[in-house]
Amino acid sequence: MNIGEIGAIVIFFLGVYGMIVHRNIMKSILSLSVMDAAVILFFLAGGGSGSTAAPIGSEIASGAADPIPQALMITAIVIGVAVTAVALTMLIYIHNKYGTSNWEKAGKMRERP
Amino acid sequence: MTPPLWTPVLLPVGFGILIYALPERMKRALSFIAAGAQLAACILLFREACVAPVSLSLGKWNPPVGIMLYADRFAAAMVLLTAFLFLVLLVFEADRLVSDKNFCMLFLILEGLLSGIFLLDDLFSIFIFVEVSTLVAALLIMFRRDSRSMYDGLFYMVINIFASTFFLFGLAMLYKQTGTFSLQVLGQILPDVENMTPLYLPYALILTAVCLKAALMPLFSWLPKAHGTPSAPSVVSAVLSGLYVKNGIYLFIRCQSAFQAIDTSTFFLVAGAVTAIAGAVFAIAQSDIKLILSYHTVSQIGLIMVALNMGGETAAVGGMYHIVNHALFKSVLFLGAGVVIDEYGTRNMYDIRGAFRRMPLIAVSMIAAILGITGAPLFNGSISKYLIQHDVSDTLGSAAMILINVGTLVSFIKFSGMFFGNTRIKARIFPGRTAACLILGSLCLVFGVFGVSVVRTLFGVSITIDPAGYLKKSLAFLLSAGSAWLIYRFGVRGRSIWRRVRAVDFGFNASALSVVLFFAVLTGYLYLS
Repeated sequence: MNIGEIGAIVIFFLGVYGMIVHRNIMKSILSLSVMDAAVILFFLAGGGSGSTAAPIGSEIASGAADPIPQALMITAIVIGVAVTAVALTMLIYIHNKYGTSNWEKAGKMRERP
Repeated sequence: MTPPLWTPVLLPVGFGILIYALPERMKRALSFIAAGAQLAACILLFREACVAPVSLSLGKWNPPVGIMLYADRFAAAMVLLTAFLFLVLLVFEADRLVSDKNFCMLFLILEGLLSGIFLLDDLFSIFIFVEVSTLVAALLIMFRRDSRSMYDGLFYMVINIFASTFFLFGLAMLYKQTGTFSLQVLGQILPDVENMTPLYLPYALILTAVCLKAALMPLFSWLPKAHGTPSAPSVVSAVLSGLYVKNGIYLFIRCQSAFQAIDTSTFFLVAGAVTAIAGAVFAIAQSDIKLILSYHTVSQIGLIMVALNMGGETAAVGGMYHIVNHALFKSVLFLGAGVVIDEYGTRNMYDIRGAFRRMPLIAVSMIAAILGITGAPLFNGSISKYLIQHDVSDTLGSAAMILINVGTLVSFIKFSGMFFGNTRIKARIFPGRTAACLILGSLCLVFGVFGVSVVRTLFGVSITIDPAGYLKKSLAFLLSAGSAWLIYRFGVRGRSIWRRVRAVDFGFNASALSVVLFFAVLTGYLYLS
């Protein structure tokens, strides 16, 4: 396990911690992005380190970096952006409606007709 | 001529985009053409998959690197069910929502995504499809944009994406160990692996996300919010409850068969039983008709989980058949509940009386569905429950089964209160709604009476129903129905303890914590056992 992967695991659980303790919806969405970034880091760190050759061209050196994680992570980044955008839009709506961005308070107000 | 395997995925998505782009007046015809063509394609595909599993590698790359679509008989049956249900739901909404092109687009795209999850073999593509379908489902939940459904939609989306991130992290670790995402390839190579310990962590991460999708016990808090939110269109509730949670169960089946070497059946057996009982208890406590149905979905999911993890072939077939049956009766119940809510203008079941007189045809199909879900003789639920109980021999197992069924019965006795009572008002209901409810309701009966041949057609498994055993189960049903009525009469009505059960609500942070705890317990179980 290299330094990138260990760092990714630490960052991932920091994001998880943020999801559990923060009552602010904004911070939940941020924690989600942190977790997402950690997974992307883990994928890329597992695919190759700084010293491995790039998998480009018709003659690929043996021991080149694995191209699949990189290809997949571009997709994951795109999905992450879309999710964050939709979540933030909904948050803006909820904030305008209830005047709060706290899960608990918004949940209580939701019960009222 | 059979269509290529990508048809059920791309056809609805393509039509959805077309409907958005083309002029307004064509959308209704186009959405029905799309759903009809999808059903035809799925029937052809199912016939081919009955002979031998169909597979298609995309972009000329084969697994372990490339992405493959794979349809065995079970997958093709699920896609067929999806196509059929979506067509019926479009008929139900033909007068109202289908005239909104945003709705048509999102609804058809969701159909394509759900079919994709059933057909894909590549775990990373499944992740993408699950994420996008979560987004689309969240948009459909808050389609009417009132504040309550906004909150519920956001809650649903964030907690689901949170779990999907666990899934992705599990995939990263899995890829590092095995170098593939293909479930087929994993199923072939994993039995030869001597030391499975490095795979425990990725397995636990993936299964945590799958169990959240399937709404297993501590991870179910999003489901009543998403499926029972008052203003969500009833077709959306029907799709989410009838099909979308089945995606979780389906992924569970596929992952378990790929990771056969890791035996967790005891863990999920217990989790399923707890889910089934807890779901029923929560359902009894509710007085909002949509929430009762939502908690019921939790309870039935638990029952399916029990069936799949019991270890017996017959029970597993029963579980698979119950997936199909649950899709049928839960859709009728949600659609019927939608009609009732529109008609009476309230969701409180104590305020709704005389529904049978007011809308006889809808009520008849709802009663058929209730008989199905409670496992009354001749209806579809009785066949799947008979198969599930087939292998249960110990007292603890039988007691748990009876407890689950009595719980279901009590809540539906409470639910059926709304059919009684007198009224002179006759409801005027759009014929498409009545037709959709009647089609699905009568299927509940057909799938019960012809249960043996339906199971043979759908899953290719011959089952035998022992008449004496079936009669015994029918008598047990009558006895449990009687005791359920007594429990309802003396233990539920007017008791304030149920109000306290109803007040139990997981907040967002508690839900996130429960995901982490579930993951921790599963990991601990794997390493210690």
